[in-house]
Amino acid sequence: MSAAPATAPRAMGSGAKIIRYCGVVKRYGTFQALNGVDLDVHAGEVVCLIGPSGSGKSTLLRCTNGLETIDGGDIEFEGATLPRDERPLRAMRRRMGMVFQSFELFPHLTALQNVAEGPRTVLRADSTEANRRASAMLAKVGLSDKAPSYPAALSGGQQQRVAIARALAMEPDVMLFDEPTSALDPETIGEVLSVMKALADEGMTMVVVTHEMTFARRVGDWVAVFDAGRIVEQGPPAQIFDAPTTERTRDFLSHLGWAG
Amino acid sequence: MTFDWSVVGQHREALAAATGMTVLLTVTTMAIAVPCGIVVAVLRLYAWAPVRTLATAYVELFRNLPLILVVYWAFYVLPISTGIGLSPFATGLAALALNVTAYNAETFRAGINSIRRGQVEAAMALGMSRVQALRRVVLPQAVRRILPVLASTWVSLFKDTSLVSVIAVSELAYVAMQIRAQSFRVLEMLTAMAAIYWLLGYPQAKLVDWIQRRYAVTE
Repeated sequence: MSAAPATAPRAMGSGAKIIRYCGVVKRYGTFQALNGVDLDVHAGEVVCLIGPSGSGKSTLLRCTNGLETIDGGDIEFEGATLPRDERPLRAMRRRMGMVFQSFELFPHLTALQNVAEGPRTVLRADSTEANRRASAMLAKVGLSDKAPSYPAALSGGQQQRVAIARALAMEPDVMLFDEPTSALDPETIGEVLSVMKALADEGMTMVVVTHEMTFARRVGDWVAVFDAGRIVEQGPPAQIFDAPTTERTRDFLSHLGWAG
Repeated sequence: MTFDWSVVGQHREALAAATGMTVLLTVTTMAIAVPCGIVVAVLRLYAWAPVRTLATAYVELFRNLPLILVVYWAFYVLPISTGIGLSPFATGLAALALNVTAYNAETFRAGINSIRRGQVEAAMALGMSRVQALRRVVLPQAVRRILPVLASTWVSLFKDTSLVSVIAVSELAYVAMQIRAQSFRVLEMLTAMAAIYWLLGYPQAKLVDWIQRRYAVTE
């Protein structure tokens, strides 16, 4: 089985390549999680990774900021190969925001403290500056009034918006979303997706692992379909959702009940 | 059989001073054993393998020796074998701290292990180092979780300080036994001693319960 080539021209071709995945391989023991993944992410683009569970989408995202190390191939971020050493890797992580499926807010800190933690500890901002930045980010996700609340007092959707604010407070060049709405009640999914949409409209570069096909269709600039550790098809959403070129993509979408 | 409780009143100053010594021993031991316990726990979890083995060996040695033996050993063997002659107070303190550090190390290790990996990943994704993640994210949560265990250790320690009476540290048990030996008021002195330990120990346990409720983290 060979990876299907991208068949449609890139709509956002003008943006510089901010992330390049070249033949990325990742193994867990004998399990081949990623089996030669090639993908480019251009500045200002929203790239959505879709596909069945266990197909490698989240693994690729976790390799992007070095939470997982790759066993083959290469990942470039802003023109440089992702470093292996702790110190340069940390410097690179500061420029990539990450949002997790299970939020991973720090439960012992208030919403404001959660968002201020990165600027304070990593960027060594003084507390006035860190809090100012945190307040601005909470306002951006519409949660200024929740600044003094602890995560346990917030709904899932609110927690995820705080988590987005926490990542944004580092002023990243790219945002990585790992199934940001999969752990949410249906009624709070919308508020998180609209924050993400607003972010995309501002021109933020985003890589989004998602099962929200409507989001991928409407907000995505480029969609990559994963199966068994490979990208089986990639292209603009119109191609993927309306005229998929591979049987595997059609299968996956029909299983989800996607009607086009 | 007649009781003569006046013996307690007669020696109240000595008993008060001895109680003060017991409290001082407890507080000082814990002040040493909490930070040292964290260090040993972190070494056991993250250090270079030989250091990890050493930390494990330390914990297993002191967790499995009777405290009174450690006290005697520090008092008799240490000066002979090393030439270091410490005061009875310092010797008793060292024995207690060695013992409680081993227990605290296990408590902290369990607490650190109970924090899910995603928390560290979230910290590292922000660009924190492992040390920063431990200090800013893992330890603050771990400490809150293990507070009840530390409280039990504290109350045990408060009572176990009585074991250093065997090397003549003038804490509560030692002084009460001295008074008993001089006055022959066995039952009165033992009862007074029991009352003092209990009256001091119970509020401490309650205080720590309160601290735990106050600083508990809901998730």
